[in-house]
Amino acid sequence: MIDNITYDRSVQGHRRVERRLAARVRAVAEAYALLAPSLVGFLLFLVAPIFGVAALSLFDWNLMGAPSFVGLDNYRELAADPEVWRAVLNTIYYVVLNIPAQTVLALLLALALNRRIRGGKVLRVVFVLPWMAMPVALGIIWSWVFDPRYGVVNQALGMVGIDGPNWLTDPAWAMPVIASVNVWQYTGYTMLILLAGLQAIPHTLYEAAAIDGTTPMQRFFMITLPLLRPSLFFVLVTNTIGSFQIFDTVFVMTQGGPGGATDVLNFHIYQQGFQLFRSGYASALAMVLFALILLVTAAQFLYFRKRTVYDFS
Amino acid sequence: MKRIALYLALFAGAVVSVAPYLMTLNSAFKEPAQVLTTPAWEPAFPVTLENFAQVWSQYDMAGFLLHSLVYAGAVTAGQVVFSTMAAYAFGRMSFPGRDVLFWGYLATMMVPQIVTLVPLFLIMREFGLIDTYLGLILPTAFGTPYGIFLVRQYFRTIPRDLESAARIDGAGTLTVLVRVLLPLSRPILATLATITFITTWNTLLWPLIVTNGDATRVVTLGISALKGQHSSQYHLILAAAALALLPLIVIFLLFQRHIVRSIALTGLK
Repeated sequence: MIDNITYDRSVQGHRRVERRLAARVRAVAEAYALLAPSLVGFLLFLVAPIFGVAALSLFDWNLMGAPSFVGLDNYRELAADPEVWRAVLNTIYYVVLNIPAQTVLALLLALALNRRIRGGKVLRVVFVLPWMAMPVALGIIWSWVFDPRYGVVNQALGMVGIDGPNWLTDPAWAMPVIASVNVWQYTGYTMLILLAGLQAIPHTLYEAAAIDGTTPMQRFFMITLPLLRPSLFFVLVTNTIGSFQIFDTVFVMTQGGPGGATDVLNFHIYQQGFQLFRSGYASALAMVLFALILLVTAAQFLYFRKRTVYDFS
Repeated sequence: MKRIALYLALFAGAVVSVAPYLMTLNSAFKEPAQVLTTPAWEPAFPVTLENFAQVWSQYDMAGFLLHSLVYAGAVTAGQVVFSTMAAYAFGRMSFPGRDVLFWGYLATMMVPQIVTLVPLFLIMREFGLIDTYLGLILPTAFGTPYGIFLVRQYFRTIPRDLESAARIDGAGTLTVLVRVLLPLSRPILATLATITFITTWNTLLWPLIVTNGDATRVVTLGISALKGQHSSQYHLILAAAALALLPLIVIFLLFQRHIVRSIALTGLK
């Protein structure tokens, strides 16, 4: 009798374990089935190419015939190539022109829109309009706006008696023009992210500070800026990564010219890889761009981690 | 006084934001000679459709737009379906290797696109997909880490009780996903679809590399070639640019609520 019961229990227990195990296996199988398409894409079109580019950078290959292993020759060549150094400096120059201007403008707009003003919602939409524009179409439009003879800018300058420069064919002005196109395109987008950050700051902090007799300037530096740090950090990191990859506007507006003044890394890689078909060399250049981006991102992380010292829970 | 200054500054910003669009549209309706002789802010008079007719008939504008529509449409469909599936697995199920994989996905968001470009081109060449729609579409159609992340975060805000209730009623995983989660996730899926469509429609670099024939030439390639040929025939290239931007403006106006909200959300994680 007693034996029978224990027997029954152990069989039932066994079955329960088996059932649970089967359910678990089923759940895991289901999870991987759901994941399968994205996993195929991820491994084949993202992970494999990342390893591929590292490997390719050690070869010399014009896409025909067999690739030949050259070790670090590509890296030696690019380190000695003044055009590469120019492209690196051009890229950094572009980022330096673009990011601070865009971030400061976006912050000012966000602060303005964070007050209770009429038409704030409409303005938000209007400011984001440039963000969705096709960079190629923009390149066409802005080339026209900055056309020395027929462009709006020089026509307007002419009305006040200023003889405008040749903008895109002037080595000194070409890069600032390209940077300003991107500032125009992304300021509204950055503003929206910062505005969301501003709106997450509790109002009570400002009220308490006002009671303590602080000036608006003090409140900005002691409350707004520190608490906005996470949002600022996010836009700085993501926008910087994006800026290092500038291509479309350069491709349409200047093709790297005049005289290499706007030959940025991404454009240089494209030319080496897909116009001159030097895929090994282009891969090595791509690794350099990647390293540059990692370096700058790491620096931003360190800087912000050191300085983000607030806690209000 | 301060208030007036504030409004003036915001108004100026708004004017700068829309001015290039308005001037382009305005000039595209002008007669060719007038595009060069009158300032861009002077309203088009007489209004003419001649420029549009000329780009439309001399160049395969209709083809460019159609190819872009197929490209962006297919990528968007794939992105929404496959990102949702992966997001459900990552956000709602537990399985061995989940966290490692998810971090792997996130880590690749840092990798610049140009890094993968040469090998990606070689893979497509190996598969014989150069100059085909499949070659254009495949790299982004299986769902991007960004899309998966966006939907996963949203799924995690939906109470688990709803799902458990359906499970007790005997619903399987697919039923739960389609009947319970999807109806609640319409806003985020609309956002993802809109952003994917806009981004793909605007893409230049990948089509530039993987296609070169007329049969799959997308609008970004079409109009940049047009600019290369007729860099100073502004009446033509402005009309072409206006045509390329038109679908974006329509989509933006339809979905602006989703777009504005999703951008605001990106910074608040």
